[in-house]
Amino acid sequence: MLEKLFQLLFKYRPVVFEQGRLGFESPWPVTLVLLLGATAAGIALMVYARTRQLDRRDRLILTSLRIAAFAILALCLARPILVIATVVPQQNFLGILIDDSRSMKIADQGDRPRSDFVLEHFAEQDGALLQALSERFKLRFFRFSETVARLQQADELTFAGRRSDLGRALETARRELGAVPLAGLVLVTDGADNAESSLTDALLQVQAAGVPVHTVGLGRPRFDKDIALERVTVPRTVLEGSSVAVDLTVTHRGLGGETIRVTVEDAGRIVAAEEVRLSRNAEADLVRTHFAASEPGPRLIRFHVTPVDGEVVRENNTIETLLVVEDDRRRILYFEGEPRFEVKFVRRAVADDENLRVVVLQRTAEDKFYRIDVDDPDELSAGFPTTREELFRYHGLILGSVEASFFTHDQLTMIADFVSRRGGGMLALGGRLAFARGGYAGTALAEALPVYLDSETNSDTGGFFAEVAVEPTSLGRAHPVTQLAPSMDASEARWKDLPPVSMLNAVRDVKPGASTLLLGRSGESRDPLVVLAYQRYGRGKALAFPVQDSWMWQMHADIPLEDQTHETFWRQLLRWLVTDVPNHVSVSVSTDRVERDGLVSVTADVSDSGYVKLNGADVTATVTSPSGAERRVPMEWTVQRDGEYRAAFVADEDGLYDVHVDAQHSGVPLGGGRSFVQAGDLQSEYFGAEMNESLLERIADETGGRFYTPETVNSLPEDVSFTESGTTVQERRDLWDMPVLFLILLTLIGVEWGYRRYRGLA
Amino acid sequence: MRQDLEDSQREPANRAFYFTRAQYTSWEGRRFGSWAVDFPKADRQFLIGLRHLTNIDAYEQEHPVRLDDPELRRFPFLYALEVGYMSLTAPEVEGLRQYLLAGGFLVIDDFWGSREWDNFEVEIRRVLPEYAIVDIDPTHPLLRAFYHIDEILQVPARGRGVGNRPTWERDGYVPALKGIFDDDGRLMVVINWNTDLGDAWEWAEDPWYPIRYSNFAYQLGVNMIVYGMSH
Repeated sequence: MLEKLFQLLFKYRPVVFEQGRLGFESPWPVTLVLLLGATAAGIALMVYARTRQLDRRDRLILTSLRIAAFAILALCLARPILVIATVVPQQNFLGILIDDSRSMKIADQGDRPRSDFVLEHFAEQDGALLQALSERFKLRFFRFSETVARLQQADELTFAGRRSDLGRALETARRELGAVPLAGLVLVTDGADNAESSLTDALLQVQAAGVPVHTVGLGRPRFDKDIALERVTVPRTVLEGSSVAVDLTVTHRGLGGETIRVTVEDAGRIVAAEEVRLSRNAEADLVRTHFAASEPGPRLIRFHVTPVDGEVVRENNTIETLLVVEDDRRRILYFEGEPRFEVKFVRRAVADDENLRVVVLQRTAEDKFYRIDVDDPDELSAGFPTTREELFRYHGLILGSVEASFFTHDQLTMIADFVSRRGGGMLALGGRLAFARGGYAGTALAEALPVYLDSETNSDTGGFFAEVAVEPTSLGRAHPVTQLAPSMDASEARWKDLPPVSMLNAVRDVKPGASTLLLGRSGESRDPLVVLAYQRYGRGKALAFPVQDSWMWQMHADIPLEDQTHETFWRQLLRWLVTDVPNHVSVSVSTDRVERDGLVSVTADVSDSGYVKLNGADVTATVTSPSGAERRVPMEWTVQRDGEYRAAFVADEDGLYDVHVDAQHSGVPLGGGRSFVQAGDLQSEYFGAEMNESLLERIADETGGRFYTPETVNSLPEDVSFTESGTTVQERRDLWDMPVLFLILLTLIGVEWGYRRYRGLA
Repeated sequence: MRQDLEDSQREPANRAFYFTRAQYTSWEGRRFGSWAVDFPKADRQFLIGLRHLTNIDAYEQEHPVRLDDPELRRFPFLYALEVGYMSLTAPEVEGLRQYLLAGGFLVIDDFWGSREWDNFEVEIRRVLPEYAIVDIDPTHPLLRAFYHIDEILQVPARGRGVGNRPTWERDGYVPALKGIFDDDGRLMVVINWNTDLGDAWEWAEDPWYPIRYSNFAYQLGVNMIVYGMSH
C-alpha cells in the first residue's frame, strides 16, 4: 500500500531510488536557469515590497511562497534524472534456487503446503512471475536440500530432502554461474537452515562476487499452534541400572496453560512419563524427568510429546538420542583413617551393584591397615598407594576420616592429579580428621575440593558438632545423585522424612563454579551447612559430603526395614562419581546421531599408564557399519592438544555404527575405547521449521538483494533488473514530471492566492 | 593416644563407636539382671584396651541400652552376655529383630553348657526364627580383621583355669564360635559359647588371671569390633 502511494507521487518504486543515482540533464546552461530563477524571485520581492496594504509579516510569507514556486520551476527546468543500471534483456542469467527439503511440505498457511507456491510460480511456464522473469533473464534453476543440483524440470522437485543447506546452495550456484553474466540469485525457501556448514562463509563469497541474493520466504514466521521438543540433555554414557536424569526443552506456540504428556521410551517400552502444564507467559518450558538404564549396550532412547489437536508440525514432537549403557565394573578405593560404621554401611549399600567394586583400605591402628575386597594379595599391601600407577588403577576415591599429615606431600598432589589428570572421581567424607579439622587447608587436595577450608566460616579445628536435617537444593531436586524417588515431588517428600545426620565439620562456603546438591539445617545454626557439593576439577570431579554418619538413613528407628533410601543414595552417588571416568584410551564421536551420508568425526584421548597424554602412539579406529562391514581408519594426532587423535568417516548406511579405537605405543598396547553412532533419519527439517525471516533478510541485506514474501514477490522481476551485476546499461529516468513536484507547485500557488485574497489583494 | 584430650571433652553423642551393652529381661527370680554381669568394669577395661590397641574413636564409658529402646538403632554394635538367663519380652524381641535386620551386629558371650544354650536358642529363635545358627569357620575374616586368630580358646571365669582347675563350667567343655548370617551372608550375631570373654577383660589386671586368656579375649574382642564396623 505504502509502496503504491510512493509510486503514485514519485513516479517510480522505492527500489529505483535505492539503486539509482541522482543527476541533472538541463537543456540550458545551469547558470541561465539559476539566473532566470533569481530574476523571477527578485521581481516577486520588488512587487510585494511596493504593495502598501501589506505589513512586514505578509510580505515575508507571500515572497517566500512565490520564491519556493519559482525554485520548483527552476528545478524542473534543470531536468533532474535518476541514472540507474539496468540489465540488458536476455543478456543476463538469473539463478533460482528452490528449497527441496521436507519442511516445504509443511502446511502452515491454511491447508496448502509451502511447496504449492513453488509449483505454482516456478513450475508452470505460463505463470506470471516466471514469464516476467523469463522476459528479462535467462533462468537457471537449482534444487537444494542437503545436496545441490541443477534442475531441468519442475517434476524433479520431491520436497523430501532431509536437510536445508543454504550456504552450500548459494556457493554451488555462484560457482556454476561464475562464467556467465549473473544478475543475481533468487533463494526460494523457508530459511530453516540446519546444515553444519557455515552460511557466513558462503555469504562472504557471494558478497565478494557482487552477486545480489534475493530471498523469497515461504511459510509463517510463527506457527499458530505447535509443540516442539527443542533439545534433550542426557548423558552419553551411564552405568547399567543407573538413574538417568533428562532435561527436555519444550517450546510451544499458542498452547500456554495446556497440559501435555511427555514419555521416554527404550526399545518401545515406556520407561518414564510426565504430565506437564505449559507456562502461559513463556514459550519454552524445561521438563525434568529420569529413568533407569536397565539394559546394557547402545540404546536408542525416544522422547515424545503426545501431539495436541491442530498442531502444525507433529514430527517435531519426537527426539531420539543414543545412550550407551555400560556394564563394566568401576573400581573405587575407599580409604578410611579409622574404623567407622560408615564403611560397613557404604559397602552394604552397594554390595549388590554389579557395576561398582568398592575396595576398602582402613587404618585400624598406627601403621596397621585392614584391606577388604582386594583383588589380589598384593593390592594395597603397603597401605595407601605411593605411585600414580597404583592409584590411577581406580576410577574413584573416597577419603574418610584421615588427617592430611598421614599423606606425604607427593601423595596429596597425587590425589589432586587423580582428579585433574586421570579424570577420576573423588569423594571426601566428613569426620573428626577430615576437611579443615584434618589439616587439609592449604594442601593440593584442598584445591580440588568444591568447598573452602580456610574461610572464616569453614575453618573449624575442633569441637564443632551439628545434627542436621538434610534438604536438596533446587539443583539437587532433579540431580541423578539426590533423586530418591521416581518423581521429583516424591523425592522431595522423602528427603523431608529422613532422620537427621551429624556433622563434625563446619562447611558452609562452596567455591565459585561448584554446585551444591544438599544442604543441612540444624536448630542452632544460622546458615545452612553444605551436605553435598561437587565441582569439576580438571578432567574429573571432586565431591564433598561432610557427614559422618549417613548410615543413620539405614539404621534409624524411623526407617522401615524395607526402605531403600540409603542404598539408593549411595548407589547413585558412587555411580555418578565414576560413570564418566576415562580410561587410557577414551573415544568420543562428534555426534551420537547423524543423517545418512553425514560425516562423523572420531576423537580419541590417549594417555600412558600414568595418564600422561601421549602424542606418538599408533591409534586406529575400527568402524563397523550396520551391515557388519569393517573398515580400519588410522587416526592422526591433532597437534592442537596433547594426546588427541582424530579421524573421520562417512556414515553411508542407516543403523548403528560401532567405533572401536585401539592404541599402542612402541608395540605395547595401551588399551582401547568404544563409541557408537546411530545413522538415519533425524527429521531435522521439522525442528525450527518456522520461516526464518531474520535470516532471509540478513542474506538479502548483506548481498544487496531484497527480501520477499508471496505477497510481495510480484515486484521481484523488476527489482532484480536494477543491478550492477551482469551485463547492464545505464538508464536515465526523468524526475521533472514526478506528480509530487506538480502537487507541491500547485499547493504553493494555491496558498499564495488564498493568502492574497485573505489580505484583500487582487 | 592421639587426640585424647579433645576426645574426653566431647559429648557422648558424637563418637564413632560405643561399646553398647544389651539391657534385657532375665528369668524372674533367677539371676535377675543377668545382663549386668561384670558391668561396668569389664566394659571400661575392655575400652581402655580397645582405645590403646586400635585408633577407634570409642566412647570411654559403659553404654547400656534397652532392647526395646528405639535409640538402640543408633548403635550398630551390641554386646550381650549371660544369655542363658535371658527371657525377652515381646517388645524386646521386636526391638532386637528390627535392630539386627536393619544392620546391627550382636556379640553374645559368657554362657555355658547345654541348658543355657537351650535357653538362648529358644530366645534367639523368637528373634530370628528364619535364620539358622551355624559354626563360624576358622578361616572366617572375623578372625583376621585385626589379629590373626588361629585357635578358639576357652576363656575361663576368674578363679578357673589356674593350676589344675578346669576352664569349663557345667557341661560346657568345648568352646564354640557360632554365628547367624542373613540372606546376603552378612554376619548378624556372633555367639561365644562355653567361654567368658567378659571376665577376662574384667580381670585382665589381676596378676592371678592367666595372661594367655586375657590376651585372647582382647584379641577376639578387637577383631569382633573391627569386623562389625566394616562388614
